[in-house]
Amino acid sequence: MAAPELAQTEPEGIEGVRMTWLNWPRSKVEASKCVIPIATSIQPIRPHVDLQILPYAPLRCKTCSAVLNPFCRVDFTAMIWICPFCFQRNHFPQHYNSISQTNLPAELYPNFPSVEYLIPNYQNSQNFNQSSPIYLFILDTCMIEEELEFAKSSLKRALGMLPENAMVGFISYGTQVQVHELGFSEMSKVYVFRGSKDISKDQVLEQLGLSVSGGRRPGPGMHKGGGGGGPSPVAGAGPGINRFLLPASECEYTLDSLLDELSTDQWPIAPGNRALRCTGVALSVGSGLLSASMAGTGARIILLVGGPCTEGPGSIVSKDLSDPVRSHKDLDKDAAPFFKKAVHFYDELGKQLVNQGHVLDVFASALDQVGIAEMKVAIEKTGGLVVLSESFGHSVFKDSFKRIFEVGGEQSLGLAFNGTLEINCSKDIKVQGIIGPCTSLEKKGPSVASTVIGQGNTTAWKMCGLDKSTCLTIFFDVSSSEKSDPAGPSSQLYLQFLTSYQSSDGQMRLRVTTVTRRWAVGSEDLVQGFDQEVAAVIMARLASYKMEMEEGFDATRWLDRNLIRLCSKFGDYHKDDPASFTLNSFFSLFPQFMFNLRRSQFVQVFNNSPDETAYFRILLNRETISNAVVMIQPSLISYGFDSLPGPALLDVQSIAADRILLLDSYFSVVIFHGMTIAQWRNMGYQNQPENQGFAMLLQAPQEDSQLIIRDRFPVPRLVVCDQHGSQARFLLAKLNPSATYSNAQDMMHPGSDVIFTDDVSLQVFIEHLQRLAVQAS
Amino acid sequence: MATPRGPRPGAFPPNHNPNALANNLQNLQINLSNRQELSNASSGGQQPPPFATGQPCPPPSDAFQRGFAPPVAPGQSTLPPDAMPARPAGPTPVSQPLPFASRPPPPGVLPMGSAPPVAPGQSTLRPDAMPARPTGPTLESQPPSFASRPPPSGVLPSSIGGPAAPRPGPLGPPTPLQMFSNGPAGNGPPAFAPGMMQSGSRPPPPVSNLQRPPPPTMLSSQAPSQPLKTRPGFGGPPTFVSSSVGQPGPPFSTLPRGPMFPGSSNMPPPPGPLTPPPVQGTVQSSGHLHGMQSWPQQLPQVGLSSPTHGAMQLQQLMSGMPPGPPPFPNQSMAMGQTDPSQIDANHIPPYSSSSAVIQHETHMDNHANPPPPATSTYIVKDNGNCSPRYMRCTLNQVPCTVDILSKSKMQLALLVQPLALPHPSEEPIHVVDFGESGPVRCSRCKGYINPFMKFIDQGKRFICNLCGFTGEVPHEYQCNLGPDGRRRDADERPELCRGTVEFIAPEEYMVRDPMPAVFFFLVDVSMHAIQTGATAAACSAISQVIPNLPEGPRTMVAIATFDSTIHFYKLKCAQQQPSILIVPDVQDVYTPLTSDIVVQLDECREHLEILLDSIPGMFQDNRTTDSAFGAAAKAAFLAIKSTGGKLLVFQSILPSIGIGSLFARDAEGRSNTPAGEKEPHKLLQPVDKTLQTMADEFAEYQVCVDLFITTQTYVDVASLSVVPRTTGGQVYYYYPFSALSDLAKLSNDLRWNVTRPQGFEAVMRLRCSEGIQVQEYSGNYNNRNPADVDFPAIDCDKTIMVSLKYNDKLREESGCSFQCALLYTTIYGQRRIRVSTLFLPCTNNLTSLFVAPDLDTLFSCILKQAAKEMTSAPLSRVKDKATKVCINILHSYSMFCATKSSSALLMPEALKFLPLYTLALLKSHGLSSDGRIDERSFWLNYVSPLPTPSVIPLIYPRMIVIHDLDEKELEDSIIPAIIPLSSIHISDEGIYLLENGIDCLVYVGASVQQNVLTRLFGISSVEEISNQFMLQQYDNQLSKKLNDVLNEIRRQRCSYLRLKFCKKGDSSAEAMFLSNMVEDRMPSGAAYADFVALIRSEIRKKKA
Repeated sequence: MAAPELAQTEPEGIEGVRMTWLNWPRSKVEASKCVIPIATSIQPIRPHVDLQILPYAPLRCKTCSAVLNPFCRVDFTAMIWICPFCFQRNHFPQHYNSISQTNLPAELYPNFPSVEYLIPNYQNSQNFNQSSPIYLFILDTCMIEEELEFAKSSLKRALGMLPENAMVGFISYGTQVQVHELGFSEMSKVYVFRGSKDISKDQVLEQLGLSVSGGRRPGPGMHKGGGGGGPSPVAGAGPGINRFLLPASECEYTLDSLLDELSTDQWPIAPGNRALRCTGVALSVGSGLLSASMAGTGARIILLVGGPCTEGPGSIVSKDLSDPVRSHKDLDKDAAPFFKKAVHFYDELGKQLVNQGHVLDVFASALDQVGIAEMKVAIEKTGGLVVLSESFGHSVFKDSFKRIFEVGGEQSLGLAFNGTLEINCSKDIKVQGIIGPCTSLEKKGPSVASTVIGQGNTTAWKMCGLDKSTCLTIFFDVSSSEKSDPAGPSSQLYLQFLTSYQSSDGQMRLRVTTVTRRWAVGSEDLVQGFDQEVAAVIMARLASYKMEMEEGFDATRWLDRNLIRLCSKFGDYHKDDPASFTLNSFFSLFPQFMFNLRRSQFVQVFNNSPDETAYFRILLNRETISNAVVMIQPSLISYGFDSLPGPALLDVQSIAADRILLLDSYFSVVIFHGMTIAQWRNMGYQNQPENQGFAMLLQAPQEDSQLIIRDRFPVPRLVVCDQHGSQARFLLAKLNPSATYSNAQDMMHPGSDVIFTDDVSLQVFIEHLQRLAVQAS
Repeated sequence: MATPRGPRPGAFPPNHNPNALANNLQNLQINLSNRQELSNASSGGQQPPPFATGQPCPPPSDAFQRGFAPPVAPGQSTLPPDAMPARPAGPTPVSQPLPFASRPPPPGVLPMGSAPPVAPGQSTLRPDAMPARPTGPTLESQPPSFASRPPPSGVLPSSIGGPAAPRPGPLGPPTPLQMFSNGPAGNGPPAFAPGMMQSGSRPPPPVSNLQRPPPPTMLSSQAPSQPLKTRPGFGGPPTFVSSSVGQPGPPFSTLPRGPMFPGSSNMPPPPGPLTPPPVQGTVQSSGHLHGMQSWPQQLPQVGLSSPTHGAMQLQQLMSGMPPGPPPFPNQSMAMGQTDPSQIDANHIPPYSSSSAVIQHETHMDNHANPPPPATSTYIVKDNGNCSPRYMRCTLNQVPCTVDILSKSKMQLALLVQPLALPHPSEEPIHVVDFGESGPVRCSRCKGYINPFMKFIDQGKRFICNLCGFTGEVPHEYQCNLGPDGRRRDADERPELCRGTVEFIAPEEYMVRDPMPAVFFFLVDVSMHAIQTGATAAACSAISQVIPNLPEGPRTMVAIATFDSTIHFYKLKCAQQQPSILIVPDVQDVYTPLTSDIVVQLDECREHLEILLDSIPGMFQDNRTTDSAFGAAAKAAFLAIKSTGGKLLVFQSILPSIGIGSLFARDAEGRSNTPAGEKEPHKLLQPVDKTLQTMADEFAEYQVCVDLFITTQTYVDVASLSVVPRTTGGQVYYYYPFSALSDLAKLSNDLRWNVTRPQGFEAVMRLRCSEGIQVQEYSGNYNNRNPADVDFPAIDCDKTIMVSLKYNDKLREESGCSFQCALLYTTIYGQRRIRVSTLFLPCTNNLTSLFVAPDLDTLFSCILKQAAKEMTSAPLSRVKDKATKVCINILHSYSMFCATKSSSALLMPEALKFLPLYTLALLKSHGLSSDGRIDERSFWLNYVSPLPTPSVIPLIYPRMIVIHDLDEKELEDSIIPAIIPLSSIHISDEGIYLLENGIDCLVYVGASVQQNVLTRLFGISSVEEISNQFMLQQYDNQLSKKLNDVLNEIRRQRCSYLRLKFCKKGDSSAEAMFLSNMVEDRMPSGAAYADFVALIRSEIRKKKA
């Protein structure tokens, strides 16, 4: 994530928008010839130093409800503005009287394609406080003592970091779900739900005494602790909800002592069986509980889970330890009896959470899988965060977990709630859908394309949770009627993204980003406007999506075919002469991206568990373009005595005995010491005053890695290893296998390494590509 | 017996013995704070020197609290009855019941029987029988051995003092007595009353007893040295004394700790030995109504050959006819000579009962001794046949064929009360350990070894008295036979000389380890319960009972509360404070934890206390009106499913939510609203099967549910009661609940419930001689297979009715045996088998059959059957049927047995109260059509396991006069004479007390003297009595006596009766009181005289 001051140099700019094609193909046919789909990535609430915050409500077009923007034609004398999307003429209201050519409101400044409106009176003022966000912690207790202690201490630290007005709830679960009534002062009080039985929202509400309509319980009644005392920050919500959700300042002590007494799940585990863990029901109960909070209140369910769900709905594996958790093979062969049911369950759960506008975050720490693959749907739909680690004591978990509670400052994730994204676009443009952490709101309109990719069939999406790095990929289609457009050939196309959301401090904001692009005129225009990074990421996202959605989808072939088609179309070559093949610089990196994508965990899933794959994909879909590029093609920096630290080829040949390599593959950061360096280090040279330089050399990659780690969420795993060490595999797996055991004699140069693989190297890949590209068509 | 068990290795806590009772008794006295007062109060009784007790002065009331003869109290206390101090302290069990022959006859015996110490001609082996024998025949036969009979005064038996007067006369040769008696009165019965209770066979000089420390298992209170301290515990503080406001125990300050010892008659045993009746059966008509001893024991062989029946003028009977021999052995009575209009009330047998203590030997001269009336106070000497407390038969002679039985129209059934409370003076039940091999049993019918097994073949084989099979005696159990054919060791082995013994069950009798004693308290905290104070009352009652639960690691407790959800409490000791676990799903419940809910009592006492203190406050503002009884019970059940245990539920409203929820089937809770319901009796049935199914499951896992209903509204008792009934539990019904006045009762009921002798996971089977078999069991139990009765829990108050049927003829000479075996786990975790064997003679003679009926038992069966039918048949049919039973029996009698063809109504003496009881039954609450449906349901439910001794007072309550308590010299009994239930006996100046074992009504006439009011109630006018009026004790004789009377009643009934005040003029209260005047004409039935006339005319019609 870039620091704001660097933002301007970044391709996203103030808009936060990047597109595969800067200049759009004019027709459907043309678009399909372009191979790479027309797609836009947008970071809806990306912070920017120049972003104008406007403390008033936006003006909207009366027909298409697009917001006033710099691309509107304004008639200052008539006090009229013309909507660029529907050409509707709108009058300025009274309070815009004073505008003139020289006195423009910020939203009309051409420099500010993005502005943000702070929406006053969104809720009436005395309710302002009420939208303080809710954090509902759900803690798995089926763990070994040690893990539970780690989890508890992280929780405690988190509580201390929460803003005072944040509302906190707590649920622990194992075989059964225990909802802790924090507002009950007399003694610790817990509602217990059985883990084996699916429970609907209404049942949860009724059983917790929160139902309004049921009338079973008129009020909190017996609970004098919660009902009467103090201002109730969630007033207006279902009755009695503040028995369970209390401001952090009020319940910190209670929760602290509760955590102190909380022990691992007491239910007996039969020998040879897994612990009975009812994650599914715990989530149902949690979301049911939150449904009693006032509509529109942002809330996160923060699930800390230590193993697979084995009890009740959402189970992913049987209780019997001799049945392993499903693998990709099982999924392929349809031999995972729990999978579909569980996915369906989490899908429904996700829908419910979306309706409520609540987020599901999952922090999973286990050596085995916990069911992220099944939960993915709910996490993505709600825009939740997910962190997968091996232990609650691991920094991947600890530091990531801490970061979600940081408010303000660079470290803050800028978590926001209840986002909605709406898109207005020029007449000929249709929206196919979005891949990313959002849910379609099924808002139909003329701009909705008939083919759907991801969350489609709409021009509006819900993002229950979003943060400043959240990134969505929007797929567009163009209709081919433009030539006959009587309105005259417009060379510009317009897109407007309206993102309303509730910031972490509870304010309602509306970010309006309006962009304009040109319709491409001729192939050259297209070539010039190609963004290969975006294209690579979008191909990765699309391939992942298709792998999940389409049965028997062969991602490698699909990618290859598309790459060949692209090269055929945009490469310069003589037919059937591979040697003549060259690619324009706008495309030059793309084949390498594709090469690495083919080899990446997104496509080659069989080295990973379904959970890991799901985890990687969730992050691929929600991260920024630059981060996603790193996921596809890790960056490698080389440190040596003789040169400044600099990027190195992602190739096995970059390994040298006297160098240190820093690999950033997004999920892990590897510091790799060459053999000689490692020996020197082991002999302690860095501690000798005369070898300051060596010490600095050792230090440099450490510092750089910390820079990377600091800004990233989830915190990557840091691997420090030496050449020929076992951990070196984290590096070797990512390198281009230009030197393998088969060609070692030819390729080997002193100090380098070989990779034991049969995979083709980049060079071979490119050779094939050239040959196929020129003979195609 | 306590002592013998000392030496046994690995002996369990001794409590299982009847002696343990004493502990329970103590427990009954709840309020420790009252003890002081108590001891003061009781001092009168205790102080007198031990031997002064022969004095006829009325016993100081407090002395009764032990359930023992007051006058003798001191003496008695020196001699713990069961301790048998004369015995070697630690004899082995077998050696226990030493032949009495070796002892000098007990002093008590001598005077009575006036037989020489060594009776000639009697079997030396059974010296105990001895005194009886000579009496009849040898001595003045006419005044039938006064010894065996209560003296005419009727009060006789009740105290030593009492009898003194009448006794001297008949007493023939009192010499021996003189020698022994220390009492001033020469005739006086023995100072050592206790000794005598052992059927007179314990001769030890009292003095020596004094020194003897009580055996370990004895109640400390029986130890001579401690009476002062412990008595109070027993006697219970005079109920109302402690009402002082400042009392520490908050709401309970007024809690009377009523002693609840039932069986314990206040009376010392009559000095007389338990003697068989004189050969010539005579009607023991005692001079006075209440003194009348209705005891027509006829030994079958006794001159029934030429029965002549005299119709005796009732007047004669009643007017203190001298105890002269009635002309005919087979007494019958005639009433209503001509026609109804002429029936004089005096012609009808007036109700009477004896308060005398009867000494009863179960088996004499190889014959079963007919038991004393169930309602009387008696002390049993078990010498072969089991005590009637454990088993009673409707007929004391078993007809040989089904024809005879059906001709008589009577019913053959047994009432079995396997854990009945013994009288404290009785010998405790012997515990026999056969080791690994278990008790010797018949290899065919599996009957247990008992005194009626006949050993043959030099003791190598035995013939089973039940099935007649000849089996081998296990080698190690063989013993030579004596010349009389008995085993030489018969008297040393309890199982060969006692009708009731307990065997230690070896491993093979267990399917699992004996279960721990688990007590799960489940309290309603819904709004209504909180507001009426029911929750607070329940919590406080529980908190008071906690210290009385058995100590040790085997006692587990748990608490849960419920409204529309179920709240469990985690009581783990490591925790700072208890935490609440709520189970909100009341449709499909579960237990919220596997551990820490049910915890060892020893580990959580403090937490429990805190929790119980805080529950009422915690739910103070509860607005939840729903109650999930069924779900809560189910959830609690799930928590204790693995062990089983007792579930004590406090419920206050109609369960309205969750599993087994109910609805107000009857808008008003009344059955007499004619609206809609065509079959009102359906309201007495459970509404559906849900609760029944649940209860069956509970029972299967040995969970017993007791239900305390503290309500002010309709709760559908009919449906709820299914659960306790099936699981061996009990329903307690407090309606309308008042936190003020019902707290004491609730507390005492709960205390008795958990402290009374009881067993868990019990299985019972009754075996009969060939020819008879069990037709049906009925009572509070679960029936998994037809042969056995399963009780998740059984206690001393539960009775099972066993109806029998014939499958063959019985042989007159061989008699008939019944054996009841109850396998159960004691509260201390020992598995035992209690075996009671009853041997009855058989008869082919219808006439002798009519001598034999045990009216109390017979009527109990009639009552229980009527109660059972109530739910399935219209009320009128049930009433008709009950009436017909009465008519048919009497008709059969007059057809086949009465010779005199008179128009008078002829009744066998034994059945003389049958019409009265029947009439009372017809008018009882349960059978009245205008009662609240819940109350009727409760009544029906209450009746089902009711022990025989409680049946009669329920139907025919006891009424006494209390305004002149201090004026009467009550020689022998605390409780004054009973007056018949007729309004003619009630005057406006009087105050009357009426009790039926459940309620106690105090009726205050309109013009009672003001000073009586002041002394009794501390008020100056009747007007000041309200519904909520509480009785207190004031510092005057009258008030003290009233409290004593009340405590005595409570003790006798084992129940803390609910006290209600009815003043004349308060129409509803007055009506309630008057509805008990069963001899009056009232809307629900005819007057007694009219009823008798009706019966007579019906019989006449039948004859015609």
